[in-house]
Amino acid sequence: MLKVEDLWFSYGSKCVLKGVNFEHRNGVGCILGPNGAGKTTLLKCVCGILAPLRGKVSLNNIDILKLSFRDRAKIISYVPQEFNITFPYRVLEVVLMGRNPRINPLIGPRPEDEEVALKALELVGLKHLSERPFTNLSGGEKRLALIARALAQESKLMLLDEPTSFLDFKNKHLVLSLIRRIAHERRRLVLLTLHDPNLAYMYCDQVFLMKDGIVVDSGEPRAVITEEKISSIYDVDVKAIEIDGFRLILPRYNSFAKTLKLDACCMEVSMNDHRLCGD
Amino acid sequence: MGEELARYSIVFIVCALASLFVGRILFAPWNMTPIDKIVLLYIRLPRVVAAALAGAALGLSGTTFQNVFRNYLAGPSILGTTAGSAFGAAIAILAFPYSPLLIQLSAFAFGLMATIVAYGLARAVGSESMISLVLAGIVVSAVFSGLVGLIKYVADPYNKLPALVYWLLGSFAGTRWCDLYPALPPILIGICTMMLLRWMLNLISLGDEEAKALGVSVSLYRAVAVIAAVLATSASTSLAGMIAWVGIVSPHIARLAVGHDNRKLVPASALVGATLLLVCDDIARSLTPAELPLSVVTDFVGAPTLFAILIKRRFYRFA
Repeated sequence: MLKVEDLWFSYGSKCVLKGVNFEHRNGVGCILGPNGAGKTTLLKCVCGILAPLRGKVSLNNIDILKLSFRDRAKIISYVPQEFNITFPYRVLEVVLMGRNPRINPLIGPRPEDEEVALKALELVGLKHLSERPFTNLSGGEKRLALIARALAQESKLMLLDEPTSFLDFKNKHLVLSLIRRIAHERRRLVLLTLHDPNLAYMYCDQVFLMKDGIVVDSGEPRAVITEEKISSIYDVDVKAIEIDGFRLILPRYNSFAKTLKLDACCMEVSMNDHRLCGD
Repeated sequence: MGEELARYSIVFIVCALASLFVGRILFAPWNMTPIDKIVLLYIRLPRVVAAALAGAALGLSGTTFQNVFRNYLAGPSILGTTAGSAFGAAIAILAFPYSPLLIQLSAFAFGLMATIVAYGLARAVGSESMISLVLAGIVVSAVFSGLVGLIKYVADPYNKLPALVYWLLGSFAGTRWCDLYPALPPILIGICTMMLLRWMLNLISLGDEEAKALGVSVSLYRAVAVIAAVLATSASTSLAGMIAWVGIVSPHIARLAVGHDNRKLVPASALVGATLLLVCDDIARSLTPAELPLSVVTDFVGAPTLFAILIKRRFYRFA
């Protein structure tokens, strides 16, 4: 169980987290919220990249803010949104780096670590690419390889920062269903951030709504992803539709025309363009 | 894993053995006069050991700097480490009576300072850009080269200047065992530390956030890596002057053969650096009746080699 209590963080004088409180018990948890709400900052504070001003983060009653980088990496893995490597390491080498907290840093990975890395690659379906340079992979494959790296880390908690960004329509679903499978079959706790409430509804067990540096609401998707709550955190008029047991949240076009206060010229164009004039 | 490394080791050993018998006095191991034996043991052997160690140190420093600064173009001369060390050594030679320990210390201190200043300048110019580190290195090198020029200007033209100039041009000529000893501890400590950090360099090269998330105390390991690289570079500089190109070319040659994983790249670039500097030193002492300055040879060998590798890398990437 991941428990975050009264977590504060600021970049210089800009306060980004203003007392975050939530509990994530099992399965896939998703943080939803507008840009700048503090989602990424929250993940970075939990995994130790950023040091919070105050607050408490505990995983199964272990205070993780007091752990060393190495001990923390044993129980928490992090999949970043963007991953720019300078040197074109092979895919297997990138995945092997996930073994770091579990090996002697002066000796490096042993053959059995290579086995673990290969198994992780097999699980995400990239074993055939293990000898390729990481930089040659497509966006979706890169994301999968990084998930394999987090798997090789064998941590209880996996954090993923926008695992669907830059992915095409199909790959978004592929990656999320893989993450869901990992969470349920391998009994990992997963916390991720998403931009699309519909994806959160389909793949997550818990949803945390975040706005202006605090978690304003949390619960099961059915209870949290509703017309009123989504429209209030994103400040947009939305409509919810129920299809095949799923609830889809769709924005209403007119609400954007109002909120954006388009200038006269743009207005004119959009009024004349019939394709844009729907409800 | 070991295949390419074994091949490199063999090439290196053959080069080292051959270097013992190449020079103004050519002789064969099966037919040595007493004079040849003295040349071998007291002139050639220390020289070969010094060149191999300095080459390995420079190759390793290049690889370490490239990973720590996440930059293909980093290397001890480009960052200004060599120029800083040279200034440190020169000022120690000029200002104090000859003391090897003082030369080492001063070379290390100024080398470290130059590296840190270059990195700080690069951060100030624009943190993540490859070119800003190179530009900062050029600035730092220029300042220290200017200072070295100043030292040359004020140096006693009869006693100290010729030795200083010849040393700055770089040479292993006249390296005796007793010259080698004071440089041995720093160079060996530097080499061993960088060898031990080879797995860590992979993680450091991912950048701060990534490395932290993978359980690395980045600032500690980065500091240790930079200090080790500067220690090795400054020791090799105080041994043989400013040796250009070996530090940046060796990692690139090694990358072509063993790839980018530092577990292989680090030992490979040490072997390549050692072999390269041995060959350059052989050329320097055998090409002309008089000794050529070593940096002249490394310039002629290193610069075109780097260019060829960059071209090849380009084709490789687009193939």
